[in-house]
Amino acid sequence: MPKLPELVCPAGSLPALKTAIDHGADAVYMGLKNETNARNFAGLNFDEKSATAGIRYARDKGRKVLMAINTFAQGVDILRWQRAVDQAADLGVDAVILADLGLMDYASRRHPNLRLHMSVQSSATNYEAVNLARDLFGVQRAVLPRVLTLDQVGHVIRHTDVEIEVFGFGSLCVMVEGRCLLSSYATGESPNTHGVCSPAKFVRWEQNGSTTSARLNDILIDQYGQNEPAGYPTLCKGRFEVQGDTYYALEEPTSLNVLEMLPQIIDISVSAIKVEGRQRSPAYVAQVTKTLREAIDTAGREMQRFSVKPAWQAALGKLAEGQQQTLGAYNRPWK
Amino acid sequence: MRVPDITLPPIIASIAGKLPATPPTLALVTALNQLVKRGVLPAEMELLAGKRFEVDVLDAGIKLRFAADESRFKVDASAQAPDLRFAANLADLARMMLREEDPDTLFFNRKLVIEGDTELGLIVKNLLDSVDWSETPLARFMAV
Amino acid sequence: MSALNLKLTLGPILFFWSRDEVFKFYEAAATWPLDTIYLGEAVCSRRQQLRTSDWITLAHQLSDAGKQVVLSCQALLESESDLKRLRKLVDNGRVTLEVNDLGAAKLARDAGLPFVAGTHMNVYNSSTLSLMRTLGATRWLPPVEMDRDTLAAILATRPELETEVFAWGRLPLAFSARCFTARHYNLSKDDCQFKCLEHPDGLTLATREAQGFLTINGIQTMSDGCHALLPYLAEMEAMGVTAVRVSPQSAHTAEVVAAFRAVIAGTQSADAAMAGLKGKHAGAAVDGYWCGSAGIINTGDTLHARA
Repeated sequence: MPKLPELVCPAGSLPALKTAIDHGADAVYMGLKNETNARNFAGLNFDEKSATAGIRYARDKGRKVLMAINTFAQGVDILRWQRAVDQAADLGVDAVILADLGLMDYASRRHPNLRLHMSVQSSATNYEAVNLARDLFGVQRAVLPRVLTLDQVGHVIRHTDVEIEVFGFGSLCVMVEGRCLLSSYATGESPNTHGVCSPAKFVRWEQNGSTTSARLNDILIDQYGQNEPAGYPTLCKGRFEVQGDTYYALEEPTSLNVLEMLPQIIDISVSAIKVEGRQRSPAYVAQVTKTLREAIDTAGREMQRFSVKPAWQAALGKLAEGQQQTLGAYNRPWK
Repeated sequence: MRVPDITLPPIIASIAGKLPATPPTLALVTALNQLVKRGVLPAEMELLAGKRFEVDVLDAGIKLRFAADESRFKVDASAQAPDLRFAANLADLARMMLREEDPDTLFFNRKLVIEGDTELGLIVKNLLDSVDWSETPLARFMAV
Repeated sequence: MSALNLKLTLGPILFFWSRDEVFKFYEAAATWPLDTIYLGEAVCSRRQQLRTSDWITLAHQLSDAGKQVVLSCQALLESESDLKRLRKLVDNGRVTLEVNDLGAAKLARDAGLPFVAGTHMNVYNSSTLSLMRTLGATRWLPPVEMDRDTLAAILATRPELETEVFAWGRLPLAFSARCFTARHYNLSKDDCQFKCLEHPDGLTLATREAQGFLTINGIQTMSDGCHALLPYLAEMEAMGVTAVRVSPQSAHTAEVVAAFRAVIAGTQSADAAMAGLKGKHAGAAVDGYWCGSAGIINTGDTLHARA
């Protein structure tokens, strides 16, 4: 049987972490309760106590914990990000997931034994970029932005000894991660600066007769009729007008789902498959982890004979944003 | 154990809607305060203080209205509009509370209505998600 | 009004113009009062009206004419052919590069070639900036979303490289694997029929209330508003900024350059210069990013409304 990619699942809270471990995740990733991570939402993430408990839980079951410190230190205020790296090292995480090159530099000098993963927010889309991070900081894994075709992912893997991690399921960013400022253009806060996208505090729903308007900092992102499903106003997934046509000009509300490509993903030696969604509930984590665990194991056994079970598709379909799923950039026509 | 897929018959709503909502609300806030006190509900009360909440159990015709201050939850008897309103049928609310279903999934499917202050809604959702029921006798009822 | 010690630069053309238009543009630009001209295809690999060798030849010609020239690299590098074109730029032998991707930084560093670290390099702090310096950067541009206070704090550490600010034009906000222009025409990206040629300043994306919001430029998403930092040149100089960039637009770029030059030379007030550019740019003038708020905001409007 070929070597299977690790299944890396999101943990926005201690119950989500335990759930992921219980349902077959090889590793979980978490963030601290501050702006050092890209899911900096009120009430989410870990403090010292819950992180310690989570790491112990994972360790006892032989699984790994990764700490995402994947926003960019701002200006000269670097200390908070450096302390987050120190804290992760002290907690004994298996790796830190970093986006900021300056912070990678700090981590590699200060904690030479701490394993470094290059976050998707670093926007490394080619092997030269990945290899630079390896040469400079000893980065051992890179998470690729969701812009490459599967062939291009394979090409990166063949030209680097750094492990490659790809996204397997979850809400889809249509833009290159780390290179999207749409949120700060509309609200002043972006993933890179504040660890947020289309932040909830700028969201306003307006009911006008039978029409619901979803606004972000007063900018109209979408409008819904009475029986039309409403979505969260993530600004790239709104309906806008271009030359007289009103449509999802950038992207429909949709989720990435790679189930049907699992044999190829295994075949090109992807090291890890990541599930998006630290902001989602333990129920989501349970269902996605369980489904992907089963699907990856089956794909590894069956390879060419593998076919996606309808039950898996149904389980993931229900969890998908807008209940729509796509192979995203892995599949050329999407582009 | 899964929550069965049922909607309460309209007669229940018409009866329950006529009953005073205070007893169930009182039971809810008492339970919430106990959970906060015992550290099970890791509520950052300063994020919730001064906010009014409403849980509307649609098919039961019951509206639970409560509010929070810096230290505890209390029954909200005022007529003011809530800052945050959750509305769903009993079975879906139960699925959400027992973690059989993700609130986002219910929301995408239009089975859960969340109205009002969007950020407050996220805070409450994240709060519910972060409760570690495994430390309580309720653990055996939870789906995950 | 006194003269400011600021260089004036012309950024690469971010839109897709025909070969003739590009040559005409640089023929004119060679006569404008500019210190540095950036050129090259920075957005889309399918834009081949000028091949990489054409850009290099053009760069060498402008350089021979006495201009400081920088070749801008494509920001999103996905395929081996993207890297191949990049290597060609690195090997051009004379002209320095503006890099907007880590892979490009690696190749420049390996070749011992000094480079400009562009706005997409995500240099948000002093520590990352000094790292860029050690890799070979001699000049950098902060991300366009960085506000003046953050930039001032970084510059107070006296970094040993030049600082250039994106000061005029539609803001480059995002890149995608997907081509939004092709999507608008229901075409696939591989068969886009080069529709971008029909939109020399991009395609406006408006809200359903007809508020201009963004600009679609192939795989790039830009602001609808025109980032206009002309009123802030004096404070930029004071905090240690060394150069300001004008981003090309299909019309009136010469007048924009002239206005910036007049303010830098101290022969015209910023207010008068801004007033002179009214109607000579697409979208509304915005400056929110610089002032620490949402990029779409025009703080001038807010101030005038209060006054």
